[in-house]
Amino acid sequence: MLTPEKIEEWLKEAEERPGSAVLLIRYIANRLNELSARNEELLADNIALRLGRKVEEYESRIANLEYQLDLLKRQAAAPGGAPGQAAGPAQAPAQASWVVVLYTPQGQLLKAGLPAVLEEGAAAQLPGPIDPQAPPGLLLVGEHEELLLIYDSGRSLTLPAASLPTAQPLDWGRASLFEPRGIEALAAVVPVGRMALADFAIQASRRGCLKKLPESFFESCVAKDFVGSGVKLPADQTFGLSLCGKADQMVLVSQGGFVAAASVERLPFTIEEALRLATNDHLVAAFPLAGRDTLLFVTNNGKAVQRDASWLDPGLSAKSAGQALLTAARRGAGMRMVGAAAVTPEDWGLALLSDGSLNLYRLGDLLARGALLPADSSLEVVAFSVMA
Amino acid sequence: MTLRVGIDFGTSNSGVAAYDGRSVHLLPVDPHSAMPGVIKTILYITRDQRPYVGQEAVELYYRQNVNRLRRFVKKWAGEIDVRGSDMHYVHDVYTFVDELSPGRLLQYIKTALRSPGYQGTQIFDRYYTLGEIITLYLHELKRRAEDLLHEKIGGVVLGRPVQFHSDPELDRRAEETLRQAALEAGFAQVSFELEPVAAALDYEQGLARPQTSMIFDFGGGTLDITIMRLGDPAHRQVYASRGLGIAGSDFDRAIIEKRLLTHFGLGRASLSPELQELVHAVADWSALPDLSTPPVRLRLEKAILESGAPARLKALQALIFNDLAFSFYNAVETAKINLSSQGVAVIGLKEKDLDLWELYTRRQFETDIMEHRQAVEQLVLEAVAAAGLEPPQVDAVVKTGGSSNIPAFGALLEGLFGAERVRSSDAFSSVTAGLAIRAMQG
Repeated sequence: MLTPEKIEEWLKEAEERPGSAVLLIRYIANRLNELSARNEELLADNIALRLGRKVEEYESRIANLEYQLDLLKRQAAAPGGAPGQAAGPAQAPAQASWVVVLYTPQGQLLKAGLPAVLEEGAAAQLPGPIDPQAPPGLLLVGEHEELLLIYDSGRSLTLPAASLPTAQPLDWGRASLFEPRGIEALAAVVPVGRMALADFAIQASRRGCLKKLPESFFESCVAKDFVGSGVKLPADQTFGLSLCGKADQMVLVSQGGFVAAASVERLPFTIEEALRLATNDHLVAAFPLAGRDTLLFVTNNGKAVQRDASWLDPGLSAKSAGQALLTAARRGAGMRMVGAAAVTPEDWGLALLSDGSLNLYRLGDLLARGALLPADSSLEVVAFSVMA
Repeated sequence: MTLRVGIDFGTSNSGVAAYDGRSVHLLPVDPHSAMPGVIKTILYITRDQRPYVGQEAVELYYRQNVNRLRRFVKKWAGEIDVRGSDMHYVHDVYTFVDELSPGRLLQYIKTALRSPGYQGTQIFDRYYTLGEIITLYLHELKRRAEDLLHEKIGGVVLGRPVQFHSDPELDRRAEETLRQAALEAGFAQVSFELEPVAAALDYEQGLARPQTSMIFDFGGGTLDITIMRLGDPAHRQVYASRGLGIAGSDFDRAIIEKRLLTHFGLGRASLSPELQELVHAVADWSALPDLSTPPVRLRLEKAILESGAPARLKALQALIFNDLAFSFYNAVETAKINLSSQGVAVIGLKEKDLDLWELYTRRQFETDIMEHRQAVEQLVLEAVAAAGLEPPQVDAVVKTGGSSNIPAFGALLEGLFGAERVRSSDAFSSVTAGLAIRAMQG
């Protein structure tokens, strides 16, 4: 693009108006700076290609995808397995290998392994204490899961969970870094291994907006490393993404304890507000029901609140304030939601406590107990996740 | 007494003003804009047929469209009877419709008044005539102005170029369309004033003694020149008026054609004639959005794999299919505006698969619009001659309109009339102000 004629024209401009020379230099220097950063990225890619690292990475990813496919085939063949419920749990979780993935907006990813046979109690320990206002993201996934990292700019990238090194002990100094570019932040990490069996991907924003993408389009977005931010207001931010079936219902839960359900089929393809939140409120969970009939809500003081799926009011209009799960008095006393999910008693959940400990819970027992923490505990639950 | 206002319905920007006999009040009808008294002549109609104007329309368009999802369906559009000497058959015509399109952006609406072939457009399930489109825009301006004035507006003086069209019948028809649109928008009384005459009325407010002035009104769509005697309202006289269909949008087009098409593959021998044609369409702001169809996408994807210019064609694909056309033309216009105050500007657009960077100098710009400069010079001399004057007999040359800020035209006028006689009025509001004065005078 840079022809000798163009350079000649720039020089003539500088001769005619000497004041332009300074601007010309400034513009060219800025561009050079930009291009040299880009060049460095390309050189790094080139080196990885020449060393065969890229090939290894792709081979490992293909192997992982083949494994996922095999797993899905077995699930689909199993009684009760339906493609629309693709986001459901593995049939025998205790026999699969599970890992914990923690992430920060700065793009740090930490992986911790879990024993093949899961047991209730402390599973790992992060250096504490954890700031309850800005806890790390928490995910409990199969070790062969494919992860999608979504940045708040809408950029995305995929990587197999298996490619992350297991940190022992858990320390942010040992984290893998998937650094955001410029001013962007890592907004969410979601499992997408079962992408091919879903009908739609639903992207949620912190302020309660939803965006629906057909699976085929979502797949091409993932391939192009750009799924979009899913926000329409500058003050909003990408929250997460879920895979779901056509007949599914999306459930949104806010920190203030407001819950809304929306039929996936009726959701528009544009970004629309599905839950109207107060200015100081934001989402803490967005998930599809996926055929499950029990909802679990976890609060910061360790309560495990159970509701039947029939409790959800599908008649509430979009943009409504939702159903209130917490009373105003409890909200006033500082109680808030930290996580929620549609569950079965066989599932397992993982809670990150304010002292940095990561505790595993069999959800059947947890639902019966109704609490994650003993009554006299001074700790707080800062994040909660169930098996994805 | 009925409240009357002046409205400058411009090609790129519009404005509303009221005159109270002492001073002109330019109404801040676009609170979202950096210059609230100037509103972009842009209309965005959403799928549920809601109209948005000005900066709000632009912002909503960006929010709903850039990098959005598309889903094309083939729809039957009609049939064509093909008759030959020995045959007759009916051919079905299909069109690709983007089912997920959230809205339609309309700009350069005034330019359509100059095109006799343009009747209107289908927007989702409704057909809008050109008059109805203008009505929507004027109605919104009226509503906003009434909210600001806390009073119903009964009458309006609308600006019009010296000529919409060189054919008097088409010129009359354009004015009639605009008049009907204003009546439909709710103005009970509608009258017109030539835009350069309106600018002259505004300029006259500051005159202490009579003088012969040339108003050089160079906006987004037309150049209008009027030579008239000003300074004594009882003896105002228009000596001559001339108009030309050259202005800001033509300069943008010249920049794109001469400097930017290479970024999208122009000049690459490996590109087929069909692809070259596609690249040439980039210069046409009205054609680009219509190119986003599945056959074009397929053709581009194939060419990206096979041709020798994959990065440039990928950029072309991003421009067409990620709804970046509006951002692209804005980037060109911004660089052009910057060149009025500095010698160098960058035409830049950085989006997914598109990294446009063109360092552009004022010298290059002046070369690119040389042909237009000559046409402008000729029109100025024609107007002076038609007024029966020589250039030294013109006491003042008053520049108004965004394009009048281009240094090449300032230099042209200074060369013809002398630098001391060339004056600038407010480029974006002097016509609006003059129309408000005319509205008050009745």
